[in-house]
Amino acid sequence: MNAAIIYGRLLESFLLNCKLFVVTLIFGLPLGLVIAFGSISRFKPLAYLTKTFVWVIRGTPLMLQIIIIYFVPSLVFEVYLWSGISGGRFWASAAAFIINYACYFSEIYRGGIESIPLGQSEAGQVLGMTRAQIFFRVTLLQVIKRIVPPMGNEIITLVKDTSLARIISNKEVIMMAEEYTAKGLIWPLFSTGLFFLAAVGILTLLLGYGEKKLGYFR
Amino acid sequence: MKRKKIIAMLIAALMCAAALTACGSGTSSTEATPSASAEDTGSDASNATGNPTEDSGSEGSDYSYITDKGELTIGITIYEPMNYYDENGGLTGFDTEFALAVCETLGLEPVFQEINWETKEVELSAKTIDCIWNGMTITPERSANMSISLPYVKNAQVIVVRADSGVTSAADLIGKTVVAEMGSAGEAQIAGDEADESLAQADYIGKTKQTDCLLEVKAGTADAAVLDWTLAKSMVGEGTDYSDLIMIEGLELASEEYGIAFRKDSDMTEKVDAVIKELANGGTLDALAEKYGLSLAPALTD
Repeated sequence: MNAAIIYGRLLESFLLNCKLFVVTLIFGLPLGLVIAFGSISRFKPLAYLTKTFVWVIRGTPLMLQIIIIYFVPSLVFEVYLWSGISGGRFWASAAAFIINYACYFSEIYRGGIESIPLGQSEAGQVLGMTRAQIFFRVTLLQVIKRIVPPMGNEIITLVKDTSLARIISNKEVIMMAEEYTAKGLIWPLFSTGLFFLAAVGILTLLLGYGEKKLGYFR
Repeated sequence: MKRKKIIAMLIAALMCAAALTACGSGTSSTEATPSASAEDTGSDASNATGNPTEDSGSEGSDYSYITDKGELTIGITIYEPMNYYDENGGLTGFDTEFALAVCETLGLEPVFQEINWETKEVELSAKTIDCIWNGMTITPERSANMSISLPYVKNAQVIVVRADSGVTSAADLIGKTVVAEMGSAGEAQIAGDEADESLAQADYIGKTKQTDCLLEVKAGTADAAVLDWTLAKSMVGEGTDYSDLIMIEGLELASEEYGIAFRKDSDMTEKVDAVIKELANGGTLDALAEKYGLSLAPALTD
């Protein structure tokens, strides 16, 4: 089989991985912040609930979560959610990814927020700032600087995790390569590694650039 | 000034995401466009217009659900000769062409959806596919859980081994490693109530796909694979990608037939049965069977 055609199809299916990656970040990053607020909330029941939720989501395999989110609505509740919308398979896996990664992000945010010295918010209070003002004008920017390395880790892990979507038959790059494995051709499967390598390479450069830009005191 | 910059960057990021989403959605569909199609009217359309939250747990008509959608979502896995891609990347195969013919008669748009075979019943109940049409063996358990059409093709389970292995019967495989696709009729021959005596004494490993079994035997990590005769005939032996594998001569376990599965108590089945009979009488099925080297089921050739 023509290598160019095979690479073309692999690239096409890799776009699905990219799409899933982007969608997960767009919704997961803000959601993670919301969950982080829940975790550090002073309203104890909310904090307790949120922490339990984070434990459950981080404690079960993402593969399992994708399957549950895809099949449980229709099989258990007879709500035919995913078959009714176009690209239902994709959005089911997107939902699972968003929730899962938001929980991981929330712990990173929480770590970043709690690492800001208390003196900063005390200074803000002395100056008469409201809690919201202290957060958005003082804390958040410092948090962003601090969490770029661990966030970078999670984001790179996300790139590779996107291929888990194939558990509900989303035709992403590895599933496409497996079509060739079925015919006894194994090199397409190995060459999917190149796609991931390229994507992670680009991300590493971007993250490095971001860190430099944010390191204006160094 | 800083805030404006942040907002500008956010908007730029959103625009990038929107652009990526737009170009991704046109190409990243798992629904294949069949090559041999007379009604190739933009069949890449993935807009299901059915009512998603309709209470179909009650006896709502499956047929009207499908015709309202205008599409029949067909669950398949890729393997020769049933459903596979030809050199140009178009979907073809016996089941593909058969499905196209039936859908044309019924006035439905066929949407071929790749699925994982071991969750096929789940996908069917979840309405993410409307039928399983991929060389599915008719068994009593399947007939009890789903509504199955008329049998259309004959099949048997055969054992595939390396040509140089010297294995000539199932008895040679006692204590050896045997693979089969999970949830398949092949698996039932090895591990189950109806298992073949010798095979039941072999070490069984389940694979997600039938074709992965061929890979394992070729690589030597398994001693034998139990597969559909239709697949083995097409993919194994001289002139194929697996030329160093052979079917054990004259050994056929469990004669069986293929059928199309619909949801339990579906009224779609009888409609499709009528079309199948029509196609059989008209000679279309004979032509297809000859093209792909298969044998039609006795029910259709009488």
